[in-house]
Amino acid sequence: MEWECCWSLPEITSRDCPYIAEGEEDLFTSQRKRIIARCLECPRFRNDLLKLQGENNPLSGLLNLIATELLDQKARLHSMGVFLSSKTREMRFLHELSLVLQTSFNLDEVLSVAMTAITAGKGFGLNRALLLMTDRDRQFLRGYLGVGPRNYEEAWQIWREIGENDLSLRELARNFQQSKLESEKAKFHDLLEKLSVPLSDSNHIFNRALGGQKPILVTAASPPPDAGPHLSELLGVDSFLVVPLISRNRRIGIIIADNCITHKPITPQDVQLLETFAFPVAFALERASLHERLQEEVDKLTEANAKLKVQQELILRMEKMALVGQITSGIAHAIRNPLMGIGGLARSLMKTLPETDRNRESLASIIQEAKRLEDALNEALGYADSLHPAIDRWDINQLISGVYDRQKDKLARQGVAVDLELEEGLPLAYIDFNQIVFCIRALLAGITETEGCDRLSLETRLQGDAIAIVMEGNGPPLAALAGDRGYPPDIPGPSENFGLRICMTMLEKQGTPCTVETLPEGGTRYTIKLPIRKENR
Amino acid sequence: MARILVVDDESSIRLFYAEELADAGHEVTTSASATEAVEKLEGGDFDLVVLDIKLKNESGLDLLQKIVKERHEMPVILCSAFSFYKDDFASWLADGYVVKSSDPTELLEEIKRVLGKKGATRPADA
Repeated sequence: MEWECCWSLPEITSRDCPYIAEGEEDLFTSQRKRIIARCLECPRFRNDLLKLQGENNPLSGLLNLIATELLDQKARLHSMGVFLSSKTREMRFLHELSLVLQTSFNLDEVLSVAMTAITAGKGFGLNRALLLMTDRDRQFLRGYLGVGPRNYEEAWQIWREIGENDLSLRELARNFQQSKLESEKAKFHDLLEKLSVPLSDSNHIFNRALGGQKPILVTAASPPPDAGPHLSELLGVDSFLVVPLISRNRRIGIIIADNCITHKPITPQDVQLLETFAFPVAFALERASLHERLQEEVDKLTEANAKLKVQQELILRMEKMALVGQITSGIAHAIRNPLMGIGGLARSLMKTLPETDRNRESLASIIQEAKRLEDALNEALGYADSLHPAIDRWDINQLISGVYDRQKDKLARQGVAVDLELEEGLPLAYIDFNQIVFCIRALLAGITETEGCDRLSLETRLQGDAIAIVMEGNGPPLAALAGDRGYPPDIPGPSENFGLRICMTMLEKQGTPCTVETLPEGGTRYTIKLPIRKENR
Repeated sequence: MARILVVDDESSIRLFYAEELADAGHEVTTSASATEAVEKLEGGDFDLVVLDIKLKNESGLDLLQKIVKERHEMPVILCSAFSFYKDDFASWLADGYVVKSSDPTELLEEIKRVLGKKGATRPADA
């Protein structure tokens, strides 16, 4: 029998079969391969089968069945191959992602990788992604970052740039973090603000996605009742996906993804992929956030340690000063009093003796020797004093913070709200530390005890060659700051308020008097200016 | 001339101050303790108190606070054997300070300054 197809020939040439393409030359010499790859689909082979059928060959029906089944299996294999290739690409993509997500402690890096993965063509290829995160107090879900174009022109430009550069996902994420992260935050600021919702609103679609720990796909055909037209209008799309970010049952945030430019439908495969992707992202975000907070705590501790060290040195210095003061005052007391008695009484006695009395010479010697000893004592005490000068250069913000820290519990009990505003980078002030601490404490106590005072602001700022400490309370001026001795002439001062009087004396002696201004809107402002140069004292 | 109360636990110093201040034209009363000083302040009419910081078993600074609290117009000059008295901020309540010396010049000048500031001197025959 003459066959149209070449299936029966062990070897053929290109003339025998027009369906063998360039690059498939091995099919010319391999009959088995050729039958499976080409002949089964060849119309000539079908004609040959029909010929067999026409001759009532019993095998023709069986051959037809086998050929059809083989073709089906081949098609299925092909489709599985395509599916496997796609899964392999996804696995590679997720592997690349997870490598970054598992190793990064940097919140910005994690965000950049996650958001780029959702929006890049090499990733999930959605047009836009918006991230909302739970705030520190776990009260609100707040808009944090948006990525993607806001209109078609911008989209076209972005896609063209990406197409021209052919960067890997990681490179895209790095570029995004370095050059676009901040601008994208600003670009979507208005939208992100409007998307924020309280976590207590359990009916809201965002919270329902978090509560159910499953993505919710909103489409024009199936809008959930709580998503409503408002959310669609806000996003400018009918169809969007809400993916919850959950890590160990902790609500980290949500991602809203959509195709706001192409309006391509979000497929169930997109939903499934994003759901899988959300787990490592949530974990990485939580880890990066915790790391950031940990770093903040470490910084605070380091700063506290540095302050503690300064305080320890100060205490040590004060202890030394106190010890020197104690020793010298003991010596002074033990020597000076009898010395003064001897010298003073000799002086008095001298006055009673007539000019001719021969004891006058002896008394004069006693007076002179007593004076010499007093001078020597003064010199010794003066030297001890000079070893530890009271006036030195001090950090005023540290001083104010220290005083406030010790007073804040008391102020809170009094119901006084305090606003502390300390200018950064102030130079050191040249002051008597203990005296200024005493004055600030006295003023704080005085101001907050005035009638009706429940607000106080405490501020430092540089004013020319001085550092101004400005205290404002919403009470009336302190009566104790008026009058010659600290009280108004006709009104007895508050009996226990010696502090303010001492404070005024100290500030005057240091040449830094406290100015008091009554504010037109009510309340009083107290300003002390402390010199930053020694020569200005 | 002024009426001055001198408070010092050392008898030699009380004697010395009494003579020197009297020579300068003042009327002087002395006390050896804070308790005695309080009694004398209640019974007498004084223009100024010269007060030692360190009294036997008592603090001159406590007495200073009492005077400021109860007689806030009464000037007080603190006398001390050492110059570190200002480290105790309570001493800042006083109107004047002198370091004790066998030469009374500084004390007399401080009395003159404080009384002049207060206008508290009286006529000699008062």
